[in-house]
Amino acid sequence: MLVAVVPAYNEEKRIGSVIRDLFEHVDKVLVVDDASTDNTFQEARKAGAIVLKHVLNRGQGAALQTGHEYANIIGADYVIHFDGDGQFSTKDISGAMQHMQEAEVDVLLGSRFLQKKSNIPWFKAKILLPLGRIINNLFSGLKLSDAHNGFRILNRKAFNKIKINQDRMAHATEIPAQIKKYNLKYVEFPIEVKYYEYGQNMAGGFKILRDLLLGKFLR
Amino acid sequence: MLILFQILFILFAGFAVFNVISRKRSGLLGQRAVFFWIFFWILGVIVVIWPNSSSILAAYLGIGRGTDLVIYISLALLFFLVFKLNVKLDSLNRDLTKIVRKDALDNNE
Repeated sequence: MLVAVVPAYNEEKRIGSVIRDLFEHVDKVLVVDDASTDNTFQEARKAGAIVLKHVLNRGQGAALQTGHEYANIIGADYVIHFDGDGQFSTKDISGAMQHMQEAEVDVLLGSRFLQKKSNIPWFKAKILLPLGRIINNLFSGLKLSDAHNGFRILNRKAFNKIKINQDRMAHATEIPAQIKKYNLKYVEFPIEVKYYEYGQNMAGGFKILRDLLLGKFLR
Repeated sequence: MLILFQILFILFAGFAVFNVISRKRSGLLGQRAVFFWIFFWILGVIVVIWPNSSSILAAYLGIGRGTDLVIYISLALLFFLVFKLNVKLDSLNRDLTKIVRKDALDNNE
């Protein structure tokens, strides 16, 4: 069973169509509504997803971990992390799944850089993401072509081993770090990302760095 | 003769100690914290009344002036406290997430 885990915060406009598209490629869609103040919850339900609701906003990392734990309860074989804002293309899923099974790995990580599929804004492509890559390599020890890509597929072994403690965006570095720590086999796969509006900016990057540094002192 | 600053500082230290004791009464502070803070404020009062006392220690440690020593120690202490608070806040945040997650998992469907 392949379960899509979709963390969502105030995505009422796009979540419905994302879920409907997902159902063409996955068995179940699990939306973790991270205390949205709009109708994300109702829209996701209406589109047929299982919806878990955080009563307080805890961030994307926290929502993904909630998704993992639920996936474990319902006995999922694979989970796919998928953004609720329609940035990813569901067309990448079947190819990614096939590639993952052929390569016999535990984790597949999406990459915007393996092929020129995405039209990444200049500042993001030339400054932010390379910086993110350096920080990512520093903290996780895993060399990836795309450090902060939210498209991932994990098999049961992987999503049970990996425990996301970084509630906010630093989970994107924490996951590779745990892949290395638990010796999980991984592969990168080219995917397409559409840019509607700006996601992480420089300030967001610093917040991630702060979370990573503080995280070093917490167990 | 005490100068105005000394009087104000002693009044403030007295207020702070009073605060520590009332916190202890309502059970918010442990024995060790109470000792630490009372010791801290007494030390502050001593240094403010007899500024030379810090100079003696400073000279012993190889620092020029007593006030410099006080500033160094205060800064180090403040940085340490801010760091500890930050770590504590983060760990509280993680606990909060665990509760929110449990609630979400328990209340589905």
